[in-house]
Amino acid sequence: MIESIGADEVAGYDLSAEERAALADGDLDALFRLGANPYLIRRVFRRRFAL
Amino acid sequence: MATIVAAAMTSHAPNITATPAAAPEQRGHFLAGLAEMRKRLAAARPDVVVMFVNDHVQNFFYDNLPAFCVGVGARHWAPRGAADFLKIPSRQLPGAVDFGKALLKAGLDAGFDLAVSHELEFWDDVSVPAHFLMPEGTLPIVPVLTNCVAPPLPTPQRSWQLGGFVRRFIDARPVGERVALLGTGGISHWIGVPNTGHINPEWDRWVLDQVRDGHGEALAELSFDDIERDGGNGGQEIRNWIAVLGALPGVKGEVLTYEPVKEWLTGCGAAWMQL
Repeated sequence: MIESIGADEVAGYDLSAEERAALADGDLDALFRLGANPYLIRRVFRRRFAL
Repeated sequence: MATIVAAAMTSHAPNITATPAAAPEQRGHFLAGLAEMRKRLAAARPDVVVMFVNDHVQNFFYDNLPAFCVGVGARHWAPRGAADFLKIPSRQLPGAVDFGKALLKAGLDAGFDLAVSHELEFWDDVSVPAHFLMPEGTLPIVPVLTNCVAPPLPTPQRSWQLGGFVRRFIDARPVGERVALLGTGGISHWIGVPNTGHINPEWDRWVLDQVRDGHGEALAELSFDDIERDGGNGGQEIRNWIAVLGALPGVKGEVLTYEPVKEWLTGCGAAWMQL
């Protein structure tokens, strides 16, 4: 189960600059606002949640 | 004809097993409820368990995302890839191939077009309840999955209808199987959203009250927005409970346990239907 994501892993995907920045920064609120599935946010960035 | 000999619902959450040292008092209370459920399930001597559950984007991704799917495999991983995280040894639970394929065919004939999978891997959705309720791993299961995590979702009303269809299928079976129904998921939880970890015990208790009083229709009348507001995005899994209730309209339930467990990020309840 992956728990982080790097810039190289999303290099080939059609993402906006804002989306790339949110992924790179692990900006959970921005990812949610941009429409990422919450379960995927939780899975990939599990360690960034306070809980 | 086959007979429904047991029906129950329970929450699932990965931290129930992943962080066993967290919330020891609440864990004890919740697991005592599951222990009672296990005892009753064993006493009912089912031949097969129809499990209403949901994927967590481990089997189905956005390239192919069914609203409903029945698993017809001879075995189901529960768990596999998530075993280390869940702290549950990887294992396979037996499937019920003939039952599952007959359910698929009956659905197509009745206008309930289920997707089908011959290979499924489960996370906490099946693995955690099965770990406590069916630790022997010998009871065949037929998983019926509902998309509860990637909107747009099927309506709760459709889940109620799904349960009704499964009930009619069981009633019409030419084989005299003893069938148990088990729905897992919910109750309230907010996962992967800005207010992750929020729980709404008031809504959870309202849900359990409807189960206790045999008012499953009240849950089926909820909208996506109702559930999202009061139960969170994780509360959308209540569709799996609604499917069980749709198979047993008017039947009252007994709440075996309820604990709003902050450490598990979930309002955790379990109920047994009084057949």
